[in-house]
Amino acid sequence: MGLSEDERWALIDEISRQTVKSGGYKQTLGDVLGELTVKPLTGIPVAIGVLYAFWSIFGSFAGALMTDGFMVKFFDRYLLPWIQGMWPDPGTWLYFIFVGDPVADNCFEAFGVLTSGLFVAIGVVLPAVLIFYLMMTVLEDSGYLPRLAVLMDTFLHKIGLHGYAIVPTILGLGCNVPAVTATRILETRKQRFIMMTLLAIFVPCGAQIGIMLKAIPDTIGWVFLYLLIGYGIFGFVLNKVIPGSNPEILIDVPPYHLPAWENVAKKMWNRTKGFLKEAVPFVLFGVLIVNLLYLGGVIQWLSDALAPLFVYWFGVPKETTGPLIAAFLRKDLAVAQLAVIPMTAYQMISSVVLVSIYFPCVATFVVMLKEGWKELVAAVGVLICVVFLYGGLIHLIGILLGVA
Amino acid sequence: MQRKLSELGFGDTGVVAGIKKSRHDLNCMGVRVGKKLKMITKQPIKGPVVVLIGEAEVAMGLELAEEVMIDVSEPV
Amino acid sequence: MEGNPGGDAGNGSTVLLIGNPNVGKSMLFNRLTGVNAVVSNYPGTTVDFTRGTLIMHKKTYEIIDVPGTYSLEAKDLAEEVAIKMLNEHRDGVVVVVLDATLIERGMYLLFEVIERGFSLVVALNMMDVAHDKQIAVDARRLQQILGVPVVPMTAISGEGVKDLIDILRKACVTDVMGIKSRLSGDAAETPAISGCTGCGRC
Repeated sequence: MGLSEDERWALIDEISRQTVKSGGYKQTLGDVLGELTVKPLTGIPVAIGVLYAFWSIFGSFAGALMTDGFMVKFFDRYLLPWIQGMWPDPGTWLYFIFVGDPVADNCFEAFGVLTSGLFVAIGVVLPAVLIFYLMMTVLEDSGYLPRLAVLMDTFLHKIGLHGYAIVPTILGLGCNVPAVTATRILETRKQRFIMMTLLAIFVPCGAQIGIMLKAIPDTIGWVFLYLLIGYGIFGFVLNKVIPGSNPEILIDVPPYHLPAWENVAKKMWNRTKGFLKEAVPFVLFGVLIVNLLYLGGVIQWLSDALAPLFVYWFGVPKETTGPLIAAFLRKDLAVAQLAVIPMTAYQMISSVVLVSIYFPCVATFVVMLKEGWKELVAAVGVLICVVFLYGGLIHLIGILLGVA
Repeated sequence: MQRKLSELGFGDTGVVAGIKKSRHDLNCMGVRVGKKLKMITKQPIKGPVVVLIGEAEVAMGLELAEEVMIDVSEPV
Repeated sequence: MEGNPGGDAGNGSTVLLIGNPNVGKSMLFNRLTGVNAVVSNYPGTTVDFTRGTLIMHKKTYEIIDVPGTYSLEAKDLAEEVAIKMLNEHRDGVVVVVLDATLIERGMYLLFEVIERGFSLVVALNMMDVAHDKQIAVDARRLQQILGVPVVPMTAISGEGVKDLIDILRKACVTDVMGIKSRLSGDAAETPAISGCTGCGRC
């Protein structure tokens, strides 16, 4: 028992000398590709291409094909009318909690546990999670992921993270729920906390981006610019103020190989199963809580109380308060509601940025809670500060530019 | 002649002569004294370096690479 | 502490797969287990691990895929979890998965497992890649030195997986002193403490 490190290595060297014969390093095609994709000059364009492909496959499969093409129709045409018809007495509070709005004709607006809750979990998040896990597994099993991490490390290490933080960030652009879970890829609590906070604040989810593209096609570039700058600035600041270590990257860069499809399928299934079991009940529970808050008048009260803040500090019309509060449940819906409120282009940019950065949607909130309530409380604290500072800053920039 | 790993250029080779601070993690990745290595790439603006050591490619942060001394005198 | 002397896996029907990251451990896991595998969160941590079952020779094994780690020094979460899992299954069989192209790296972990007195088997994975890279590993000599079964295999194609399953029953404990003496050549002797006479000649 108890060899020293050096003794172990000495033994290992001797065993290796007696059992391993190497024909000398021979460069294979995979190695050449491997080097090309990790060198910055060739690697960065490849990385951009891969991310773009990832993104468009995700958008077309999860967004267009599954959610819009199938789930929305299924939920709005069949499930919603059926539940509305089945559940007795539309006037009761039970009806309000579980079914929601009796005249709603789509699951976005119904807001019941069994309508919007199920729709968000199964109709929107599940397809996103499925396709994301599929692509992540392929990136992982092919050996590309570590190379992407190396390329991204240059930037990410400076904001307290390391290269692998690219994984939750990409995931977050689809849905923050699996992204929060993916923060486990990071080593220290500090890193996970920074990542989670940045995710909740500065990474808009796929549903949101989709609505933004429809509602504010001309100014979406500005919104993204503000979010990206915010990600950088606040990552940098958090790295400076949060105690804990930010270890440097030290990872193995394995050779490329073709993924075994059987393995990919199985891994994906395992992860999806885990998601269904862990996240779905939480999403439903979250909707339940929000509905109880509505019933208790808490949301209305908040909305009235916060109106002056929105008008004077953030410089947006007071009608935006309602959608901003509702954004807690569905951020994409909030953006859609904002789009019909009359305001200046700059106010629109401000309010859309605000929707993005302030509270994560309820589903994200509950998975964050699962990762640890202390972290969640701290993240919310940071979030409130960031919303104040950044929202005010954007307003200030607008004033200085003379457009606010 | 010894140089820091972080100072090696693209394609340079050498033998690990010493590791200054914590060796354990680097050792476990195959970066050990006496092993030959080759610099594959250095990322710009103080990004990580990627080296080929034995049969393995390992990426490490620049500060870690500064801890690793490389003997570059003998041709590998 | 002495594990399960003799050529059987004893009552320990738990099999722990342990190895460095990227050695094809999860691939091997998927080959071994059926569709019933579940990913769970190790209690009190954020580390995921997978468990499943394997039924072979009328015996049910619980297979646990321990998070990939380079050593057992409890330096990060994955290592802590790996250590806890090992401690919880002292009577289990440990399959140490090595990458045939990077044996040295994996052997550090192997020695840590050996020193802790576990009953173990070595899975020498990625033989196909080793072949492509013209790296020849003498598995028989390795087995002889280590005093535990060494199974060459390629999990990605499934080659050797069956051999591994068959040999699980012959997992045994080995010790550093024996390895040292066999390594230096003065070893016509059989592995001393473990009493695992089957090994080295399997």
